[in-house]
Amino acid sequence: MIFHRLKVGFHRLGSPPTFHKLCRVLSPWLWAGFLLCAAIGLYYALYVVPPDYQQGDSYRILFIHVPAAWQAMASYVIMAILAAIALIWRIRTVEIMTMAAAPVGAAFTALCLATGSLWGKPMWGTWWAWDARLTSMLVLLFIYLGIMGLYAAFEDRRKGARVACILVLVGLVNIPLIHFSVEWWTTLHQGATIRLLGESRMHPSMLPPLIWMTIGVKLMFGAAMLDRARNDLLEQDRRKNWIRQLIGESA
Amino acid sequence: MIPELDYAFYVWTSYGLFAVIMVWQFIQPRLRRRRILAELREELALQSGNYDDPNA
Repeated sequence: MIFHRLKVGFHRLGSPPTFHKLCRVLSPWLWAGFLLCAAIGLYYALYVVPPDYQQGDSYRILFIHVPAAWQAMASYVIMAILAAIALIWRIRTVEIMTMAAAPVGAAFTALCLATGSLWGKPMWGTWWAWDARLTSMLVLLFIYLGIMGLYAAFEDRRKGARVACILVLVGLVNIPLIHFSVEWWTTLHQGATIRLLGESRMHPSMLPPLIWMTIGVKLMFGAAMLDRARNDLLEQDRRKNWIRQLIGESA
Repeated sequence: MIPELDYAFYVWTSYGLFAVIMVWQFIQPRLRRRRILAELREELALQSGNYDDPNA
């Protein structure tokens, strides 16, 4: 019974008007959740947690850098799952969501690289090093940009999305490379400080802002992806009746 | 009110970049939606013969 309802719900998401409504309803809540989490996280990060005994206040950059890095990779994994669903079941709304995730993931990757660089200059004495972690993260940015470019290059948006979905799946190989780069190679970038399984090497007092910011950026990713997907759907279905009705209602 | 931090340039630039990217992610889809809806309304008005040319 529950499985049947889930199946029906999943198929309903394939209906453009239902999907459009879902995006419209969910997005403001996700943005509100992001604002709340970011406000708490930023308050802790800037006012509550003490300076690090070695790095001083520069370590506060990690409350932006680490959630952005995690989200850059998480966005890609989500995008790959959506791409697989889109290719197997050929659901158009899922194709649209996959493509909408790319610019948001790219923004997080760029933010991660920029804040990493801003931390690296005072701590390592250099803006950039061609080490395995940094380079694989830069490759991730190029993959995101490649997916966006490939999608935009096709006049037929559905064809573009399907080809770009294949690139998404090929690019997935970079995610374990990023994650394990600090273990497989000798890198300037430090190893994992936070561990889901096992003891973290970060002082517990520094964890709350990191957790709040991490939850916040996840909500923001969802909100931004739905906003972009809604626009893509409007653009693709501009000649369809449900869009005309929608415009008529809002006029 | 604004905390005085060591390495202030690096810390504030990072937080500023975060703010700019978040604001852009919020604003850009809304601007695009506004443009798409304006185009669609214009198309509908043209088809129904209720189009008032703003340049006329």
